[in-house]
Amino acid sequence: MTLFTSLIVAVLFGAGCFLLMKRDLLRVVAGTILVSNALNLFIISAGLSRGAVPILPFPDGELADPLVQAMVLTAIVITFGVAALLLSLVYRVYTSHLSLDLEDLAAAEEREAEDDDRPDPQADEDELWTTGEDER
Amino acid sequence: MTVTGDPAIVLLIWVLLAPLLALGAGVVRPRWAARGGVVGAAVAFLLAIRTVGGPASEIRLPWAPSWGIEATLRFDGLASLYALLATGIGLAVLIYASAYMPIHLHHEHKPERDGVRFWVLMTSFMAAMVWLAAAQDLLVLFVAWDVTAVASYFLIGFDSEKPAARRAALMALFVTGVSAIGILIGAVMLRTIYGSLEIGVLAERVQPSAWTTVALALIAIGALAKSAQVPFHFWLPRAMAAPTPVSSYLHSAAMVAAGVYLLARVYPLLAAAPDVREALVVIGFLSMMVGGLLALGADEFKRLLAYSTIAQYGYVVVMLGLGGKYGIAGSALYVLAHALGKCGLFLTAGAATEATGEKALSKVGGLGASQPVLAVASGLCAATLAAFPLTIGFFKDEVFFEAAHHQGRLVTALAVLAAASTFGYIARFWTGIFLGAPKQGAHALPRRLVLPILALGAIAVVGGVKVGPFAAIASAAGQASSPGLKPLTLAYHLEASPANLMAVAAWGLGIAVFLAARHGRAALDAFAALGKRFGPEHGYIRVLGGANRLSDVIHDFEVHDLRSRMAALLLPAGVLVALAVLATPNENAWSVGVMSMADLPLVLAMIAAAIVGLAATIPRDHLLIGLLLSGVGYSLTIVYALTGAPDVALVAVLVETLFSLLFIGMLAAMPPRLLDRAAGAVSTDIRRRRDVGIGVISGILGFVVCWGALSRPAAVESAAEEQIAMVKAAHAKDVVTAILADFRGLDTMGEITVIGIALIGLLALLRRRPAR
Repeated sequence: MTLFTSLIVAVLFGAGCFLLMKRDLLRVVAGTILVSNALNLFIISAGLSRGAVPILPFPDGELADPLVQAMVLTAIVITFGVAALLLSLVYRVYTSHLSLDLEDLAAAEEREAEDDDRPDPQADEDELWTTGEDER
Repeated sequence: MTVTGDPAIVLLIWVLLAPLLALGAGVVRPRWAARGGVVGAAVAFLLAIRTVGGPASEIRLPWAPSWGIEATLRFDGLASLYALLATGIGLAVLIYASAYMPIHLHHEHKPERDGVRFWVLMTSFMAAMVWLAAAQDLLVLFVAWDVTAVASYFLIGFDSEKPAARRAALMALFVTGVSAIGILIGAVMLRTIYGSLEIGVLAERVQPSAWTTVALALIAIGALAKSAQVPFHFWLPRAMAAPTPVSSYLHSAAMVAAGVYLLARVYPLLAAAPDVREALVVIGFLSMMVGGLLALGADEFKRLLAYSTIAQYGYVVVMLGLGGKYGIAGSALYVLAHALGKCGLFLTAGAATEATGEKALSKVGGLGASQPVLAVASGLCAATLAAFPLTIGFFKDEVFFEAAHHQGRLVTALAVLAAASTFGYIARFWTGIFLGAPKQGAHALPRRLVLPILALGAIAVVGGVKVGPFAAIASAAGQASSPGLKPLTLAYHLEASPANLMAVAAWGLGIAVFLAARHGRAALDAFAALGKRFGPEHGYIRVLGGANRLSDVIHDFEVHDLRSRMAALLLPAGVLVALAVLATPNENAWSVGVMSMADLPLVLAMIAAAIVGLAATIPRDHLLIGLLLSGVGYSLTIVYALTGAPDVALVAVLVETLFSLLFIGMLAAMPPRLLDRAAGAVSTDIRRRRDVGIGVISGILGFVVCWGALSRPAAVESAAEEQIAMVKAAHAKDVVTAILADFRGLDTMGEITVIGIALIGLLALLRRRPAR
């Protein structure tokens, strides 16, 4: 069972990571959800005991480890919060850029940086490392 | 918490309140921050005086009991000495600053309320020094140490609009902060070897060994960097970019003094590392020479004094390296006398600049005629640094010579030479400002710019006439470093003792050095230029420049788009995980586990989850992806239900349903053409293959980690048993509910907070878009 569970976790995790690398933002979100699912499965499998439902009255024999269940419960809810936030971010990207393609977004970012006529912050940083004798 | 001894704990608490006092007063009216700061320092000084000679009261606070770490603070002689310096010198500096800072802010065209920051930071600095002084274990010490570094960073960079100030602040933070990590490493090493962080306990347990030497060397390097000893000395002259009161405090009683304080504090441990002590002697003498030569050639007042500080702490380091009664207690006396003199001279530099508008020796002269009181006050401070009789400074050299002349001819000669150069540059400073023909006009100074200097000079003279109480303070400090040390007995002896002869030789040679420096400027300038070209500061700039370029390269790659950002996270994380897997012993650690027919539904549900998950990577249509994601979620729900986790399954069903609705709703809110374009955005073949590779490698790595972790259920007894047993007492029926709502209720509150924040973010994002 250990080996088998690990394989399932690995498949879900790998599929998630593959989606994370996509150009399409929605697929990236799907990737994070798959990765989270893989981790939830991992946590629940990490329980030290398997057995009956840990609800009173306890039956004879071993109980399922309640600690990992509490953790997975928390993780699922947080995953949902993150997923909802990510989806609304995607929506927001659509409203402001009319595209969900990361290449488009990177290009838009570069354009914005060029339009920005503020002085290059790099210049200020570079000067930090000179000795500065001249301006005493 | 056990508390014994009153003034000590009142002092420790009071110094924490002083910054708040200054802040509170400053919030009401910016001008009042100065009063708050001065009152804070004055009360702290009175309390610090009361700790002198009292019983070594001890305060223990449980900190991390499971690691056996207690915060231990004790006001022994050493703590009293440095607390006295931090608060007493602090008081003088703050009184001075109450007149200086308004003028400074006016010069810099800054509003009065900017000054509030100064008062809060200075009093915080003082608080950190007092806590540092009382620290008896390396962890409290490290924390207080870093607080001084942070406070000094903001104070040196007080005029943050000036690039030089920002650079200097950063340099001080880097040099002292990075070396402080060495202290932490050393402390952890000592704890690992000897099982304690408390210096008193460690002192009983340390044995000479290579690791002990390394640990103590790391601690000593941290101390030397803070005390601006060669080769870390370069940050100190830069730090003069700070407003004068800051420089004064930094050099005499706070930051730089902290370094030699640390050496004195860990002195009992240094017995186990004679190599480190020998290195201290060498580094101390080197610092004296380098600092002395640079000070003899410097033109700016504050620069001269900064170099002199390097040299003067070199004395202290040498004395601690030499050890013995005159070395240890003598070094405490030296620090005390030096603080009085150096603080006074820095304040003089500020006052002279205030009166004339000039900053360099070559631009001023003859100030004695127009500022006689300042000249006398500063003269007393200079006299004590130059070791004139009838000042406490005489005794600081006396103990130095006593410690040195037993160590052979070389050390004796170097000691005399060092004292002579001190005489030389102090004479340059004072005569350069106050004697000769006036080169500039001077206007009158507020009294508060002169009186603190006069007070410091007066104390130095009192110490020269009646040295007993000062020697007692120094002896108590020495006994804290080395229990059983005989007290110093100091007096004037008109006899041809070695120390007296050395003192006379130093004065004579000092006059010669002073005269030679006037005519040998070219050689001294060449030395300074050499240091600038090849010295450690050059190396520092090279290293930081290289690090900055490396960071730029990584940054440029990282910010290209979301993918590269994610790769920048995943790649190093993956490498770290892979390294961890490789480093973990894995023999016989892999277990296949048992699988019975009863597990069949579970196995099927998991296979379903995996297949649907893989399938989710294929389709072009977003809706299908969403549905497949739900499929994964629901399959896992079944898994939860089958592993005895109905609560999780219930929540998972709810969440998956909500998520599916949300996903589909979001798709419906966006135009199909846009979605289709995004779905059709095809990557190049190379890119695609790389993505597959990343997915496969991540999967394999995830598999190794997961299998490795699941194969060894390390805990013998789980926390679960305990919690199952407690359920009845918690009046719950469901263990998971009890855990979430009761045993780990705080975690759940954190979770609710996360969800709340996500909700707020969501609402903000989904509001109608602003005009672009």
